[in-house]
Amino acid sequence: MSRSAVIAGVGHTTFGRLPGRSAWHLEAEAAAAALADAGVRPSDIDGLLTDPGPTQGIVDGITPHFARLGAQLGLDPDYSGSEILGGAGSVAIIERAALAVEAGLCEACLCIYGDSPSTNDGAYEYGRGDEAAFGFFGAVGLHGLAARRHMHRYGTRPEQLGEVAVAARAHAARTPHAQKREAISMQDYRASEPLVEPLRKLDCCLVSDGAAAVLVTTEERASDLRHRGIRVLGHAQAHSLSTYASPEHFDTLPAARCGPVALGSAGLTPPDIDVLLLYDCFTIVVLLQLEDYGFCAKGESGPFVEGGRIGPDGSLPVNTSGGLLAEGYGGGMLHVIEAVRQLRGEAGERQVANAETALVSGHGLGMNTHATLVLGS
Amino acid sequence: MPDPMLPQPQPDALTAPFWEACRRRALEVSACDECGHLFLPPGPCCPRCWCERLTPREVCGRGRVFSFVVYRRTYHPAIPAPYVVALVELEEGPRLVSNIVGCTPDEVAVDMQVEVRFDEAGSFTLPRFVPASARRETT
Repeated sequence: MSRSAVIAGVGHTTFGRLPGRSAWHLEAEAAAAALADAGVRPSDIDGLLTDPGPTQGIVDGITPHFARLGAQLGLDPDYSGSEILGGAGSVAIIERAALAVEAGLCEACLCIYGDSPSTNDGAYEYGRGDEAAFGFFGAVGLHGLAARRHMHRYGTRPEQLGEVAVAARAHAARTPHAQKREAISMQDYRASEPLVEPLRKLDCCLVSDGAAAVLVTTEERASDLRHRGIRVLGHAQAHSLSTYASPEHFDTLPAARCGPVALGSAGLTPPDIDVLLLYDCFTIVVLLQLEDYGFCAKGESGPFVEGGRIGPDGSLPVNTSGGLLAEGYGGGMLHVIEAVRQLRGEAGERQVANAETALVSGHGLGMNTHATLVLGS
Repeated sequence: MPDPMLPQPQPDALTAPFWEACRRRALEVSACDECGHLFLPPGPCCPRCWCERLTPREVCGRGRVFSFVVYRRTYHPAIPAPYVVALVELEEGPRLVSNIVGCTPDEVAVDMQVEVRFDEAGSFTLPRFVPASARRETT
């Protein structure tokens, strides 16, 4: 028994269109679910870290999200804060919680993602900033630039992006709580509305109201709780903030830098990973990560995913719960929760046999931020 | 008259000189007095050496399409689809987001040579780009 960080509880709300419930309501529900799963009480919580979703944190950020949520949950934690890292935020707060509990700064750290875009525009509002004058709106435009580069450099075809979309829905069909469970075919993908070419509607993640929470504690503390803890074996971040000025920004994600660090501290390499949960705001990001984490060679992700390789019956299932493309936009925290369920052996119909290791990633803002988490049963 | 609804640039102390130069139909980048690095967007110091002595430098206006997207859905009523947004790499090195105009979206390609063209848009002048060959034909 040690102070090593483990995940002892997970919980989330329904994901989808939930008008009438604020993000605060959703976050409180997810927090209660995670505590119930772990078997701890609110008075046991001495750490609170939050990842405010796109409509809550990136634009406003005036009242710190953790402070308001902490007040609402009646918490006076020893350690607290919010991370504004876009889609890397959820993985980053798990990392920060792991560091905090291992350093003895707190012992039971609640990590929460939540958002309610159906009642709040936030980052989904169009038409701000100098680039809006050119009609450059939304994350889809930026990721379209990356997809175009990949197609230009490596001959990647739309149907290879489509493999990612089809696989996500096939996984979601086996996930009872997923927002989009209807299977799609490659024909459906080809017929999908072009939004910002080369990306179609089915290349884009869902927009969801919902919240998800994870309890991080020490291995020692978890020994008294309902579940054996899922161990945090490795973690790292890397960022590309110079954006357009960077020679690599649209071609290689910072995952190429933080992936080997996170895997290395776990003593693992890509072939050792049983469950792969890659941040999938757009299909192209899954292709780039398969390359940049080293699951295939640079430029070869298109052919690599063909034939359903990352689908439920493939040799390398990716995002077994459907991910942001089909399970729901959970900011990356649902990816963490799916990893925990797989490593506990609780994933039901979609369980990966003998799952002992998982890699979870987060990617955010203008392709600027990246965080990696390696978990083990 | 341009649609008054068109989203307008929002200049601040750092970027106002760039937009003022556009009004004079000049495309300017920032040049570091110390190391000579040329960069966009304008900032408080050179992003290479952190020197604060910077001078605006007019560039030739030629470049290439580093990557591009075609908006097929209209997201803003003042900017009807289809239109092309590109990341243009200037001959001098810096990159900027702009539009490719003067050709159809299907004619745009990565690495295509382009040249700047200044368009009035509300109270701003926007630096847009046209295919370099098309520009030569019209001048």
